[in-house]
Amino acid sequence: MVALSVAAVLAVFLLYTSIAGGTSASVRPSQLAGHAGESVQLAGLVLGPVRGDPYEGGMRFRLRDVDGKATVPVVYTGTKPDLFRVGRHVYLKGELKNGLFVGERNSLVTKCPSKYVPKRPQT
Amino acid sequence: MSGTTFALLLGGMLAAACVVYVARPFLREPVLAADDDRLEQLDAGARERIALIEERDRALAALKELEFDHRTGKVSDEDYRALVSTLRADAARALKALG
Amino acid sequence: MAELGRAALIVCLGLSLYALLAGSLAAWAGRRRLAASAQNALVAAFAAAAVAGGVLLSALIRHDFSFVYAADFSSRKLPLLYTVSAFWGGQAGSLLLWLVVLTGMSTVAVIFNRYAAREVIAWAVPVLALVASFFAFLVVAIASPFATQAAPPDGAGLNPSLQNPYMVAHPPLLYLGYVGLAIPFAFAMGALLAGRTDERWLVATRRWTLAAWAFLGIGQLLGSHWAYVEVGWGGYYAWDPVENAALMPWLAATAFLHSVMVQEKKGMLKIWNVILVVLAFCLSIFGTFLTRSGIVNSIHSFTQSSIGPWFLGFIVAITLGSLALVLYRLPMLRAKTRLESAVSREAAFLYNNLLLVALCLTILWGVTFPIVSEALRGESVTVGPPYFNFFLRVFGLPLLLLMGIGPLVAWRRASISSLRRMLVWPALAALVTGGVLLVFGAGSSLPGLITYSFSAFVLTSIVIEFARGTEARRALAGGSRLRAFSDLVARNRRRYGGYVVHAAIVLLAIGIAGSSVYQTTREAKLAPGESMEAAGYTLTYRSLRTERRGNHTAVRAQVDLYRDGHRVARLAPGKNRYAAEQQVSNEMAIHTSWLRAEDVDVIANQVNPDGSVYFKVLVKPLVNLIWLAGLVFLLGSVIALWPDARESRRYAERYEPAATARA
Repeated sequence: MVALSVAAVLAVFLLYTSIAGGTSASVRPSQLAGHAGESVQLAGLVLGPVRGDPYEGGMRFRLRDVDGKATVPVVYTGTKPDLFRVGRHVYLKGELKNGLFVGERNSLVTKCPSKYVPKRPQT
Repeated sequence: MSGTTFALLLGGMLAAACVVYVARPFLREPVLAADDDRLEQLDAGARERIALIEERDRALAALKELEFDHRTGKVSDEDYRALVSTLRADAARALKALG
Repeated sequence: MAELGRAALIVCLGLSLYALLAGSLAAWAGRRRLAASAQNALVAAFAAAAVAGGVLLSALIRHDFSFVYAADFSSRKLPLLYTVSAFWGGQAGSLLLWLVVLTGMSTVAVIFNRYAAREVIAWAVPVLALVASFFAFLVVAIASPFATQAAPPDGAGLNPSLQNPYMVAHPPLLYLGYVGLAIPFAFAMGALLAGRTDERWLVATRRWTLAAWAFLGIGQLLGSHWAYVEVGWGGYYAWDPVENAALMPWLAATAFLHSVMVQEKKGMLKIWNVILVVLAFCLSIFGTFLTRSGIVNSIHSFTQSSIGPWFLGFIVAITLGSLALVLYRLPMLRAKTRLESAVSREAAFLYNNLLLVALCLTILWGVTFPIVSEALRGESVTVGPPYFNFFLRVFGLPLLLLMGIGPLVAWRRASISSLRRMLVWPALAALVTGGVLLVFGAGSSLPGLITYSFSAFVLTSIVIEFARGTEARRALAGGSRLRAFSDLVARNRRRYGGYVVHAAIVLLAIGIAGSSVYQTTREAKLAPGESMEAAGYTLTYRSLRTERRGNHTAVRAQVDLYRDGHRVARLAPGKNRYAAEQQVSNEMAIHTSWLRAEDVDVIANQVNPDGSVYFKVLVKPLVNLIWLAGLVFLLGSVIALWPDARESRRYAERYEPAATARA
């Protein structure tokens, strides 16, 4: 009986992961080329200058590889997290279109350092 | 006395107190025959007895619960009649095994 | 004074190691004095840890910034309450708190049981000492709270998001829960090591498990409430790994709490129970690891973090070790009775176990998959709320229904006729509720409608249980209904306390359904004087106000909320700017409409230079049922935990008759 239930659970699980899109690939700017036209989650460091209004017309900035040099221009509309600033590590969902990464509405989040780590860098 | 020395002194006292507390069982009974120093462990007979007691308590509790379930309507009259004799037999067997 | 702290921790480590080694030897060779000595070492370890804790606490309160930890997590302007909470504001301090709570609980558990089950205790002591040694090692060698420096004039201050009463209470409550699960784990391992398959360890740790589980539940609800009122995005649970870290052990512990009832009544599911308690404890260590090691951010920060690899090693060692022990004792644990029918209370508990464990494991997979994927393929994925919400519905809705069916099914074998008889009223209630709600528009969300219908089912079945029980009691003993009711509950606190907890879970389900799938969201940019609409409410932006307070500057948009032409509230959403910490926090304004049973949340997303503001308004029906559920949960847990003298005596006679005869 237990075996049957386990099999049922596995079936539901596999069904879900194959159909639904609960997971999305998380890429860096340097990896974007391989995912053109696909909805992905882009992670990187914010590079200035930051122009525009995210709530109207779109905010434009560049994202750089966290440990690399590749950058990509980004346009984003939606809620801007309070912790957003140049140099922050951020994530947003979207698609690369003609060399410009168009962010999905309200998908921008900052990966702030853990609440439990002090602000000063520790040696 | 500097702060550091004082702190280390307190630390040393803490350590000493702990060591004494840890050694206490040996200090209270310094000389003991091996037999008197046995940890209380249950032998097979005692374990068997506990298993039988648990079985007896389970059987009695099951009977009590059956009565209550019957009273609250969870178990119908016919189901009750079918089960009660089985449970009574279980309980009787468990009581007999305990002697 | 830092030297005292360091010395105390070294003493604690030494004592824990002694308790581990001497305790193991004493239990294996059956030496009484050595076992008592090991027990004393565990108690002394608590004293040493407490001294270390006292040193850290005093450094914080005295604003002694020569302690690096105090300088990193507190500042002179910080209110006293938050200065105290800075103790667990950082990694090293929270590890120390773990150690203090663990050794403290071990001391209590061992002292309370010192005349009982000597052989189980003899093995439980080294198991607890093993865990204590690990944490003591971490705070001595890897992440010490007692690093010193030349004292700067002021500290860096506590992260502003931690500066509120909820975040003061949340970590300690969770820790009481996490650490509390170590006790049943140690006793279970102790029983297995001693080769005992009876219920002694269960009986000894029943209240510990229940209390730890209750703390975990309340701690999580407080955390969610904090997220709702303080973080202010309008939600209360984001399926963040750190949130899931507490949910997983709670689910495993829930399964364990239920499953032990079957062992108690039928002697079955012994293997399930030891595995569940191992799972619950390992998940609680994993949860601590997730929250404090940085692995959440990325695998890179994990490998760079100092404690990450140690924690992972410890978790793997404990998991493998416990499972090996269970495997070794497997023949002893096999039940003699088989499951008679797929429609019985035993079967219902089994399905309960399966569903809870399935939900727990899918959450675990969702949390670890990104990490595993990044480690193996170099490419990371994110697992978002859609994944978790899907499985919450797939497993959670059947669980909800089972809460209503289980208590009404008979043991051993339930006939279709008795099932039909017992379930007709709850089923009717569910159908009627569903139908009525459909008319009122709840059909916009199928899972929501199902949740409400199932909730009606469960609530009806709970009421029936209480009502029929009271009647049966009254038929037996006479007296008033009230008397019969209190008698009923008093005689079976675990069962009826449990039903109250079930009711709390139902309220939780209703609250979650209402505030998620039936919520309304509207966004707009407003200049002073302009208005926006949301779900029948009108929001008018009046003016902007800036104020300097204590350690921050508050910017607030003055807003009026109207309904049907009447003003129902004056709200002030905005932002706080913290000087010392250089951070901005969002201050969401909440208006609770008791009459309409919904919350109106107003967020000021961005204040523009020209004075206009981007607003986001959320109308969340029934959200306050979630917090009410917390209170009901607490009530149910207290009832279930209430000491029962008659029951305690029965157990004492059963297991330690010699001791009872002497007493």
